[in-house]
Amino acid sequence: MDITQLPLPSEQSTASHAVELRLAGRFDAHEVDTFRAILGQILDGSGSGAATRVLVSLAEVEFIDSTALAELVRGMKHCRERDGDLILVSPSDPVRVILELTRLDLAFTIE
Amino acid sequence: MTNRTLDAYRVWAEVPLEVEPLYSVVIPAYNEEWRIVPTIGAIATHMSSLGEPWELIVADDGSTDTTAELVRDLELVNLRLLLAEQNGGKGSAVRRGVLQARGSVILFADADQSTPIEQFEALVAELENGYDVVVGSRAADGADVANKSLSRKVFSGGLSLLVKGLFRLPVSDTQCGFKMFTADAAERLFRRQVIDEFSFDLEILYLARKFGFRTTEVPVTWIDAPGSKVDAGKVAVEFLRDLAIIRWNDLRGRYGSDNHPRIDQR
Repeated sequence: MDITQLPLPSEQSTASHAVELRLAGRFDAHEVDTFRAILGQILDGSGSGAATRVLVSLAEVEFIDSTALAELVRGMKHCRERDGDLILVSPSDPVRVILELTRLDLAFTIE
Repeated sequence: MTNRTLDAYRVWAEVPLEVEPLYSVVIPAYNEEWRIVPTIGAIATHMSSLGEPWELIVADDGSTDTTAELVRDLELVNLRLLLAEQNGGKGSAVRRGVLQARGSVILFADADQSTPIEQFEALVAELENGYDVVVGSRAADGADVANKSLSRKVFSGGLSLLVKGLFRLPVSDTQCGFKMFTADAAERLFRRQVIDEFSFDLEILYLARKFGFRTTEVPVTWIDAPGSKVDAGKVAVEFLRDLAIIRWNDLRGRYGSDNHPRIDQR
């Protein structure tokens, strides 16, 4: 899986600093450590300052397994504990269906 | 904005088929509560996008976890859940699923989505070329294998040599959990299957060769899914035992005969 981190233009940020993570490929248990490390750096402020609003683009994710879904939930909770959010953006068709079947579409903010 | 794939999926999920399915996908499942729902989601999305009537069969193999409840609670009207009172082995689950399938084309696919369903069409193309049995292969030229452990590489490499030498099968990977059959081939082969464990694939391919069904393999992308239940060492011993059992069964005439026209295979 590829992960690209993009700082958002200021007009897309709300009160807090926002970052977009674009994921591509298969997001499964093999990839969660990498995702967790990158998200940790974002939330802890390594580099360009801490962000609490994280947009995770899933448009190019072909498949997501339960471990990766759990990691997204974990990330969402961490963001919300900091008064931010982890927002899922443009999930691909299979990812959207998987989110619906697991009822996680009700838990996440999806744009 | 409408999305054709999602629309097709929702129709499949909510409206019972009024015609016989063209495609049947069978997923054998044993204690797959952690993996089964995303796999169903991926398969349902892709298969619905093809625009043909299709059905999904989950053949539970006596799971002791919540696999069956999870699948039932999805309430997908064109998904059939087959239950077993006790764990009978992957081969028994696949056989139950395949023999219940109504499609003209029948695929069985592992519950971990290790062979992504997007490769379905590549196998169908070979059925359309006249083959009766098409095997997803991790060993054929062009296959893309990721995260495979060393033990499984050694295991499958050894198996491949052994099987080719002993059984002269026209495929280099007998164990990939992604195999497709015409309805006729599926009926004739799975009715004769007697091995219920890991080596049932080998028996099916042996029978296909014995009865002259045209068999080929298609290179696939395969990702070793974490949590695999395959213990390479244990399975290797069972596999060697089953090689002998298959030959012995055949010598005793246990597989019977078949009136399918014999085809010379290389």
